[in-house]
Amino acid sequence: MPLEAFTPSQPLTFGVELELQLVSLSDFDLTAASPDLLHLLQRHPFPGNVTPEITESMIEINSSVHTAYGPLLAQLREIRDTLVAASDVLNIGIAGGGTHPFQHWSQQKISSKPRYEYLSQLYGYLAKQFTVFGQHVHIGCANGDDALYLLHALNRYLPHFIALSSSSPFVQGHDSGFDSARLNSVFAFPMSGRAPFILSWQEFTDVYFAKMERTNIIKSMKDFYWDLRPKPEFGTIELRVCDTPLTVERAAAIAAYLQALCHYLLARPEAPPLEDDYLVYHYNRFQACRFGMEGSLTHPKTYDTVPLRDDILATLEKMMPHAEALGSVEALQHLAATARGGSDAAQLRQVFEREGSVESMVHAAIQRFRGDRRMRWQRG
Amino acid sequence: MPDLPPILTSLAWPIAIAIAWLAGEFGQRWTGLPRISFYGLVGFVLAGPQGAVLPLPDSGPVALLADIGFGLILFELGYRINLRWLRTNPWLGAAGLTESLLTFGVVYLIAIAFGSSQLVALMMAALSMGSSPATVVRVINEQRSSGQVTERVLHLTALNCVLAVFAFNVIIGFWIFRTFDAVGEALWQSLVMLAGSALLGALFGVLVPALLRAIRNPRQDATLAYAIAILLLVAICDAGTLSPYIAALAFGLSARHRRVAFSAAQRNFGALGGLLTVLLFVFAASTLDWRQIAAGSALAVAVVLARLATKTLAVTAFAHLSGVSWRKGALTGLGLAPLSVFVILLIEHARHAGVHVVDELRAMAAVTMLLEVFGPVIIQRALIWAHESTTDPEPPHAA
Repeated sequence: MPLEAFTPSQPLTFGVELELQLVSLSDFDLTAASPDLLHLLQRHPFPGNVTPEITESMIEINSSVHTAYGPLLAQLREIRDTLVAASDVLNIGIAGGGTHPFQHWSQQKISSKPRYEYLSQLYGYLAKQFTVFGQHVHIGCANGDDALYLLHALNRYLPHFIALSSSSPFVQGHDSGFDSARLNSVFAFPMSGRAPFILSWQEFTDVYFAKMERTNIIKSMKDFYWDLRPKPEFGTIELRVCDTPLTVERAAAIAAYLQALCHYLLARPEAPPLEDDYLVYHYNRFQACRFGMEGSLTHPKTYDTVPLRDDILATLEKMMPHAEALGSVEALQHLAATARGGSDAAQLRQVFEREGSVESMVHAAIQRFRGDRRMRWQRG
Repeated sequence: MPDLPPILTSLAWPIAIAIAWLAGEFGQRWTGLPRISFYGLVGFVLAGPQGAVLPLPDSGPVALLADIGFGLILFELGYRINLRWLRTNPWLGAAGLTESLLTFGVVYLIAIAFGSSQLVALMMAALSMGSSPATVVRVINEQRSSGQVTERVLHLTALNCVLAVFAFNVIIGFWIFRTFDAVGEALWQSLVMLAGSALLGALFGVLVPALLRAIRNPRQDATLAYAIAILLLVAICDAGTLSPYIAALAFGLSARHRRVAFSAAQRNFGALGGLLTVLLFVFAASTLDWRQIAAGSALAVAVVLARLATKTLAVTAFAHLSGVSWRKGALTGLGLAPLSVFVILLIEHARHAGVHVVDELRAMAAVTMLLEVFGPVIIQRALIWAHESTTDPEPPHAA
């Protein structure tokens, strides 16, 4: 089946998907609670949308399509409050974070949905190891060519998003040494990594996708696990490198940063992207995963190497006029404070240092996600 | 067994444990039923009145070891209990109170209808309120289950056990004085016993994690330290007149809030817990006499069925209010069916306190034997039907 046409959407509209951890409050391990939580949420008007994920200890929530940061943040908070209230009824904790620090992949249960059962059969233990939690951000594009342009023009900025969202320092009970260890799980999949360097939508569908389809490896865009991928049915590009942050406030700020960058890039102020930009791409991405804000970044055109933190701060500063136009100055200020003060990964490590147990990290993550807001569950 | 040489007598327990373990392993493999059902069967068959392999239960050290095994399980149960849940979801607490009180009332009426004396009926009613934490925790760990039925069965079991220990001690006090004037006294003593046991357990729950922090251990697995502390706690309670069960439960509860790792990999306290579990279930069943069971069987069947009905009905009634489906509510009620080990140890304690109630409670012996074998199967089925067991075969793949 040929790839569907790119549905035009209003440029720079955006939406957020967050994969969240469902934690047992008895031992702070992941718990297969999604069927119970989804059952309970059916009884309550839910802002946005909530769906099961590949294993039953995960859920995914998504916001509606927004044009501005303020309403997006308000909706994410409302979703968060509803989830927290429901989780209180069921004695489970809900947390962000790219990995659960000590869950064992072999204990996870694959959700009973045909696609997930298929993936489990195809990928074997990789499917259960995929019990990692990411934030996806969609940005609306007027047409397929714009989508591919943005997708490739963003390559230089991708490490920013990895470092700013990084919240997965521990894996299977131990400090991995990475700020975002989650992406290592994603890299294991054969269709992960970068999209092919094609800037024309026509060429992407008629040549590349048609060829890939003939290989019988690919049936739809869902079979690609690229860092950034076009989503023709939504008319968006989708950023997939972020860990789920510990708070919805950071998730909204990251989405606003991507929106501001796209606002900037669509004015074509920079030299157009080239295939050679990708010479440094994987190494830059590795630096951001491994060292987070302390990593370094090699510029794809000049090959200058700069500290990633400095590059993030400089870019945030440069994006301020765009953020003003879009109403998201506050979001960029939040991220600048993060770049200076330390990511979620750094904070989780501090909790481990102070409290000395991996259970404490999960407890802290649950408390961070709750925020200050509490709401009594309204029985429906 | 005075005829056998002493060497054989001293071998009786190790041999019984070995046979029970083998029966559990092969039985589980061939039938898919929980191992502990087979431990109970072996204990019963080898017991004095039946196979005459095991000595009579009064022999001290084995009873203490069984208490320690039970203490480890209760600690683990306590460690998994979140008291705050009962506050954020009061309907769960309401379900627990209702199922316990309803069971008490219905079992009392049935026992009276079968011609039991008022005291025996009251005692049976109190014992029937509880569920067996040993069976519940053991099967949940064996099935590696997680979900609402699992969580709720654990919480309701903790709640109904506290209520049962309280009620049972009130009635024991009443038994000792044999007069209704003494009810106030018995109530007071039972309350003091409960509070004292809980306080002692809570003290351990604060001291042990603090000690572990002081010796900078918390990053390592603290399981051994907890096991030693339970050994000590149970021994102290046995020497005094406190309840080792309430103390171990309170120890787990307060240790949980210190969040010093009781590693999930060490569920059941590893091999030590496994060994003591075999001993516990064999010991419990070995205290039963087939003659008592036969004599009480008609009443026992009535009590088992009534308990199943009251617990399932009461928990189901609160299912929707407390946030789960009717089906999961019913399965939670069903999961509270196990009773055996808990009752046997409570009766043993009464005996130690000088109250020989076993003979009067023939029907309870039969109830416990029935539930020693069928209780684990019922909760195992409840967890599987609720799709909470991870040992289920994976669903067929839709390639």
